[in-house]
Amino acid sequence: MTRSVIDPITRIEGHLRVEMEVENGAVTDAWVSGGCFRGMELVVEDRTPEDAAQIVQRICGVCPVSHAHASAIAGEKAYGITIPNNARILRNLVEGAQFLHSHILWFYNLCALDYVNPLNALDADVADAYDLAQAAGTSMNSDLNALKERLSTFAANKQLSIFSGNWFDADGGEAYKLPPELDLICTAHYLEALTMQSKASEIAGLIGGKMPHIMTSTVGGTMFVPTEEKLDDLKALVDEVYNWVEATMIPDTLALAGYYQDAFNWGGGCGRYIAWGVFEDPSFDMTKRYLPAGVLDENLNLSEVEESKITEYVGHSWYKGSETYTSPYFTTEPEFTEYDVNDRYSWVKAPAYDGKPMEAGSFARLLVAYKRGVPFVVEQIDNVLETLGAPGQFGILQSTLGRTAARQIETLYIAGLMKEWVNELIESVKSGDSEYYRKPENITGAGTGFWEAPRGALYHSESVKDGKIEGYQIIIPSTWNLAPHAEDGSYGPLEQALIGVPVADVEKPINALRTVHSFDPCTACAVHVTEPATGKHFETVTNPWGVK
Amino acid sequence: MEHEATASQLQAMLEARGVSRRSFMKMCGAVAMAAGLSELAAPRVAQALEESVIGATEGNLYPVIWIEGASCTGCTEAFAQIDEPDPASVVLEMISLNYSETLSAAAGHSMEEAKTQTIEAGNYLLVYEGAVLEGWNGQALRVADKPGTEHLIEAAEKANAVIALGSCAVNGGWMGAHPNSAGAVGVQMYLEKCGIDTPVINVPGCPANPEWLVALIVDVVLMKLSPADIPLTRENKPELIFGQTIHDNCQRRGHFENGEFVYQFGSEEEKKGYCLYPLGCRGPQTYANCGIVRYNHRRSWCVESGAPCIGCCEAAPMDPGHNWVEVNTPFYKRHRDLRIGDWMIQPGTIALTITGVLAAALVVHGFGMKAAGRAPKGAEFEKIRKWDAKHPQNSIGQYDQEVWDEVNDTKKGGQA
Repeated sequence: MTRSVIDPITRIEGHLRVEMEVENGAVTDAWVSGGCFRGMELVVEDRTPEDAAQIVQRICGVCPVSHAHASAIAGEKAYGITIPNNARILRNLVEGAQFLHSHILWFYNLCALDYVNPLNALDADVADAYDLAQAAGTSMNSDLNALKERLSTFAANKQLSIFSGNWFDADGGEAYKLPPELDLICTAHYLEALTMQSKASEIAGLIGGKMPHIMTSTVGGTMFVPTEEKLDDLKALVDEVYNWVEATMIPDTLALAGYYQDAFNWGGGCGRYIAWGVFEDPSFDMTKRYLPAGVLDENLNLSEVEESKITEYVGHSWYKGSETYTSPYFTTEPEFTEYDVNDRYSWVKAPAYDGKPMEAGSFARLLVAYKRGVPFVVEQIDNVLETLGAPGQFGILQSTLGRTAARQIETLYIAGLMKEWVNELIESVKSGDSEYYRKPENITGAGTGFWEAPRGALYHSESVKDGKIEGYQIIIPSTWNLAPHAEDGSYGPLEQALIGVPVADVEKPINALRTVHSFDPCTACAVHVTEPATGKHFETVTNPWGVK
Repeated sequence: MEHEATASQLQAMLEARGVSRRSFMKMCGAVAMAAGLSELAAPRVAQALEESVIGATEGNLYPVIWIEGASCTGCTEAFAQIDEPDPASVVLEMISLNYSETLSAAAGHSMEEAKTQTIEAGNYLLVYEGAVLEGWNGQALRVADKPGTEHLIEAAEKANAVIALGSCAVNGGWMGAHPNSAGAVGVQMYLEKCGIDTPVINVPGCPANPEWLVALIVDVVLMKLSPADIPLTRENKPELIFGQTIHDNCQRRGHFENGEFVYQFGSEEEKKGYCLYPLGCRGPQTYANCGIVRYNHRRSWCVESGAPCIGCCEAAPMDPGHNWVEVNTPFYKRHRDLRIGDWMIQPGTIALTITGVLAAALVVHGFGMKAAGRAPKGAEFEKIRKWDAKHPQNSIGQYDQEVWDEVNDTKKGGQA
């Protein structure tokens, strides 16, 4: 038995450690540890819900829009208001832009380096690479000769930059399986993806002022009023991103999958899924969202979301006590003891639904959408399973590679929806609807925003008195996925997924890294809450006017 | 995990349907056929790669270590949004980014090794993103089995300079806001405490505009400036970026001068692009050139999109309590001091909408405009400033009698 540790896990958001027991070439035990505590919920207390929608975005620079929206929805529920139709469409657009940005960046610029070796592309035959791109049915807008030249110049300088300390030689040089021509194509797409994710962010910037951390979504609607000039920019950008996604992402995924199909065999996880739903339709009904809400048990049976079934356990995390808390508004106090996998080993708490760990994320959303009969999703998943020769057999997709591939299906779905929403917005503006914001009259109450970040189910809940927040709670997708052991001893979803993963080289456990990345983890998100129960009084640092 | 397909199950399922591994791969985009399966298992590591050295003491690229402290990765994310140069050009042709938790191909101990070698070779820049957390002796942030503070000290000691990127790195940012439960401080303050005298360049913002970072990289890498030669304010912020207020360069400034304001989000006034001051805009007291540099390929920025500035660049390096959240909340209501040029007014009351405070400011400003000879009758496109029209007794504007007559007619018309 050997211990294998990856710390830090890179190409994710935040600080994450994975420790594994390896026996006979496979992982037999696993502990996932979130490394950073920041304490968001306390910061928003005593401030306004409108301020909270801004501040909570700083939980995560990759998915700030989702936090803004979950927080705004919580505020709107507390105030008992709904947002105007134009605001609904604009929020879908800015949220969708963030999803596209996040998924493109994740697949090409974070995850792909587990499968693609850009330095191997130096050996590629450029003419063959063009033929290969055509055979794979993927887009080829880059000058591959120029790219190869660029890579050669880079390599000749002998400084490795972002490839410093890479694992391209893992598993005795056999971990990276692509032929040089496909490595060259994927490197071209790595670079194109950098541009495309920034185009998607440009859409978010157009509506939100800047991205990351948008400015315009607020409790009651949006501050952004589109002018004709902004609308045509919006349409052009959305079309450009759609065209690239449509021509590139799924063909590339299938091309890679051909070389890594062993990754269909492991990384399954807990096999239970939650999705709170995202992208509002005019009914504002969670089950009718474009990606709807739902809970799936071990047998993938669908049930409706019940807030009272959500709990969090802190017995293996660096918080005082070993209680299980029920949502919302419980209080926990942070206390670092030491890193001990037999006791406490993470800043992440262990949430559960109906007492059990659950997987959240793109894959969970697609499964729920499938069960709810969302036509595009049903068609795509049926096609994939048909291609795999396993119609109806979701089991194949419950794996590292399945989870990795699912995100590209969702990307294409959202890119298509973006085009619809732009048209919907144009029609609405044309019809003379000029309402974007509703001012609340009542400013006391409590509400929960069930929503989704690109990484999965996102929950913000707040109680408000006279416009000031009294209690605030956040449960974030990566908290579900990166949970430590639960109260009954069952493992967190990523821990479960790691068990059974083949490890040939404990120094560079590349398949474990692939499995971690398949969850698209976001650790800064995952750790957040606390409410010191010490009664300690904190001095305010500014006088009531804020002038020191 | 019985629902999980095993290798043999998958193989069996495929074979039962007459699908060989080869033809499966053919379905997967026909790539395998074109590439040839014989290629599959052969290890191929480019020769150039084998000869490369992480902590190279020679080469064309300026070595950079980018450490994420207690961050949201927003500043790295922002960096990924730049164009001209795009991020790939920066990391392939300008700097050797030997350590970046978000972008590096490496992971785990290989990653830490790359950092150690780079530090040993010396002559590098350190970019530090996120707050420094002192909580639990630094254990509030754990990386590679040790406190984040140790990583900062190791990397900062031998760096040519540290760029504290984003408001969190400058003074703890939002984490420094009440009750600061993780013990957040900024880089400059922490290093001074530890007796490390590496120069710190503070680049606040939430996130820091990536153009600002690239400007500094260009200064150092292309202009060959020593970090010590970059002109800084007394808070160690680059003078050219943080020397003027948002208000100084705001595209809605003309409407401020005309007294044309937005009083509610998403309103008709917003559609006209009026000034957001009554909604709490912190432009007048926030030092940064956001309105000039803009965000996301210069597509827009906060005020253009209809959102008042929330002062995210406010960060006093030596005082975590003076962070942008603590100073500026409630964002959409409170006004602090109003600065216009050298004039400063401190409101004696919380202004929910435009009040006497702003009126006073406008009067002050009106003098300035008159002195400059710019607006004897208001701007060309308006006959009379709205505030003047509403307050004829206090108006300092000089208007022809016919303008006043028109105002009075309108008022009567309105009442009738």
